[in-house]
Amino acid sequence: MNILDIRNLSIILVSGHKRILAVDRVSLSMKEGELRGLVGESGSGKSLLAQAIMGVLDDKWEVDADRFHWRGNDLMRLSVAERKKIISKDIAMIFQEPMSCLDPTTTIGAQLEEAVDDEQLTGYFWQKIKQRKQAAIKLLHKVGIKKHDLCLRSYPHQLTEALCQRVMIAMALARRPLLLIADEPTAAMESTNQSQIFRLLASLNQLKNMSLLLISHDLENMTHWTNRITVMYSGQFVEAGTTKQIFSTPFHPYTRALVDSSPHANSTFEPKSQLTALPGSIPILQHLPIGCRLGPRCPRAQQACVNAPKVKNHHGHLVSCHFSLKETY
Amino acid sequence: MKPLIQVNNLSKEYKLPGHIFNRKTFAALFPLSFEIQAYKTLAIVGESGSGKSTLAKLLVGAESPTTGNIKLNGQELQTGNFKQRCQYIRMIYQDSGTTLNPSLTIQKLLDEPLKLNTTLAEAERQVLISETLRQVGLLSDHMNFYPHMLSGGQKQRISLARAIILKPQVIILDEALASLDPSLRSQMINLLLDIQQQMGLAFILISHNIGIVKHFSDDIMVLDNGKVIEAGKTAEVLAKPSQKYTKKLIMNQHFQLFSR
Amino acid sequence: MARENIYQEEEFPSPLLQLWYHFKEKPYIMLAFGCFLALVILAIFAPIITPFYSSQNHLEHLLLPPAWSDNGNVSFLLGTDKLGRDMLSRLMHGASFTFGLSFIIVIVSAFIGVLIGSLSALTSGLKSSILNHFLDVILSIPSLLLAIVIVAILGTGLSNTVLAIIIVLIPQFIHTTRNEVKKEFSKDYVLVSKLDGASPLRILRYSIFPNIVEKIIGQATLAQSAAILDIAALGFLGLGAPIPLPEWGAMLSNGIDLFYVAPWTVYFPGLAILFSVIVTNLVGEGLRHALKVRKAN
Repeated sequence: MNILDIRNLSIILVSGHKRILAVDRVSLSMKEGELRGLVGESGSGKSLLAQAIMGVLDDKWEVDADRFHWRGNDLMRLSVAERKKIISKDIAMIFQEPMSCLDPTTTIGAQLEEAVDDEQLTGYFWQKIKQRKQAAIKLLHKVGIKKHDLCLRSYPHQLTEALCQRVMIAMALARRPLLLIADEPTAAMESTNQSQIFRLLASLNQLKNMSLLLISHDLENMTHWTNRITVMYSGQFVEAGTTKQIFSTPFHPYTRALVDSSPHANSTFEPKSQLTALPGSIPILQHLPIGCRLGPRCPRAQQACVNAPKVKNHHGHLVSCHFSLKETY
Repeated sequence: MKPLIQVNNLSKEYKLPGHIFNRKTFAALFPLSFEIQAYKTLAIVGESGSGKSTLAKLLVGAESPTTGNIKLNGQELQTGNFKQRCQYIRMIYQDSGTTLNPSLTIQKLLDEPLKLNTTLAEAERQVLISETLRQVGLLSDHMNFYPHMLSGGQKQRISLARAIILKPQVIILDEALASLDPSLRSQMINLLLDIQQQMGLAFILISHNIGIVKHFSDDIMVLDNGKVIEAGKTAEVLAKPSQKYTKKLIMNQHFQLFSR
Repeated sequence: MARENIYQEEEFPSPLLQLWYHFKEKPYIMLAFGCFLALVILAIFAPIITPFYSSQNHLEHLLLPPAWSDNGNVSFLLGTDKLGRDMLSRLMHGASFTFGLSFIIVIVSAFIGVLIGSLSALTSGLKSSILNHFLDVILSIPSLLLAIVIVAILGTGLSNTVLAIIIVLIPQFIHTTRNEVKKEFSKDYVLVSKLDGASPLRILRYSIFPNIVEKIIGQATLAQSAAILDIAALGFLGLGAPIPLPEWGAMLSNGIDLFYVAPWTVYFPGLAILFSVIVTNLVGEGLRHALKVRKAN
């Protein structure tokens, strides 16, 4: 069953009199227990999409969707308060640069205890205090921090980034969410720490059957961990499919360019020779191209690309392109 | 071929605050030597804290070494003498957002090294600036822009323009490609390779991304806690790493590649 | 060659212009700015444009109420004081003393303060500390009291008042400048300039000052409102401007004895002081707000 079903979500930036379509009709659907990757470079709107799902965008953004179902409930029909209640219970999110997401003036222990869900505690209030502490320690063990004493007593600046990210994951797990959205969790880290965090997330996904939406700009890094991948470019939906389909037979020229710029593809080149790269750069919000936003850069662009392409489905491999590369395989 | 840069016994120790008579020292970099020739790239790889940034600072002259010296074309470089050094050794930094002064136009930004280090007239400087901008793939109209109007990739190109405008012989890339998106990274690598061929530069690439290192560099040096634990040609070292640390580094990055 | 900028209507303003656009956004700030400029022009041209001379006695019109009351005379718009001098002319001329002098005071003390502050930021260690803190003793004494002490030593008179207030306002500028310059020094682009071989003086002038000028101006508006109040207070106490000069504080003290008979001789100078302080504060507020908004964007 689809745990999250979003169809044609658009996010519009209202600034003065201008309305800019930052995210243009993106669809996303996730099954239970799935580890989904969302790939896009900067300016692709992936963080906006995640924040729109959580409902934390401020007033200058307008969110609109054809369908926004969570576990079968239609969230568009509920009031804002009810929607917030459901989402804050079932979905959690972790961010980039974990050290700056933690309060620098309180200890980790205090912050973890604050995150523990009230409903899971029972008894009189002095019993609750003890249970809260126990719950915090258990959360730390779940993310693999064995020496919980030292961790609980320290402040965020005394820990490393990787440890802080584990603490963030622990806080996200406190309410036992069904979906964890990870917005570039390892962008600021080195490769050893990156693989540790990914391994932790993957194990959480498998052991607790928690769905995971992993957002990143690094396609190659995600291919080891994810089942399915969705690719976005400049606010538009580009391609979605299983990891193997995306990586070995990308249909969209942009996905193909992303795959070509990964180190795996680079290793097939002669050292110090020219790599394949898409010309031009990512359009800024003020100057978005009409129709397919890859148009100005795409090597296969033609007259028809002035109209936004529709999404085509080839055996579960969705692509949004007029001239997809399907025929070349 | 005669080496462009020769580093002999370079090391750096920091004095830790402590007792006046018993100052402890922290060795950031143990004595090391290497040479680089024109048209070649040396990659320096290691985790954070391994001494890569200390080495970069020593090479560019921001700190003075405890022992050893750096020779450029046989001539020894003095520390503290920035004018002599900055014409030959230039650096591109990781975060182009903070290394470009937000209240100066691009033209003034690029004019500054020229004014300080060359004796060209105003008109000649303008011509040189437009030429350099064109060389890095931007338009000369960009001269009048401010840094906040440019995207990340364009800002890195401006940093590159600032580095090559004095026609140096060595460029140090201090994690310059780490913050770019993958597609922009490929463009930047192509640009750097082009410029290396055109101007005969030697690059020193400091990075922890093995993929870029493999494609871009001829020689490699692996640092761990300030010591060089492995050095040699890139292809050989990455194919047959002899040290455990190097193996671990490669494994972490290639993990995804092998198991698909 | 093709033009890069094909969107002709798209503007890419410099940081200064951006600051101006944000400043312009709030109407009441623009109103205050207009009044500020009007006061500056008044301060410069007052002796020329007043209807009467500010020291001219009209003995036949002593203590005339303002023109809108029954006994008033329209040629003396705001009435006259006890020596028959026109209030309006005196107020306008007083702008050049109270307001205009405060402007000059702030410029001079800002100049000296920024100089010492930059020197303090360029050096380090003991020398820097000495430069930073040697005028701190001035901060510990209330500004008015210090001005009174200095005037008591040097004698009364406008020039001594001006000197006293300049001395009092310098320490704030030293601290602000030093803190800002130190903060800027630790930024990366200054390091890059240094590595390019720029001398510290050159770095200060080209890389650092453009970025801190706005903060110094914000500090200057704060200092100006303090300076206006100090000049007026000293004038009121009789320690500042000598009696015939139409400085607003002196006018207040002149009119106080006859407050119940002729309240307008007290209201109008007081309102003028209030007005100029509010206007200065609003301009400073607008500047700080614009700086914050520009940083957030």
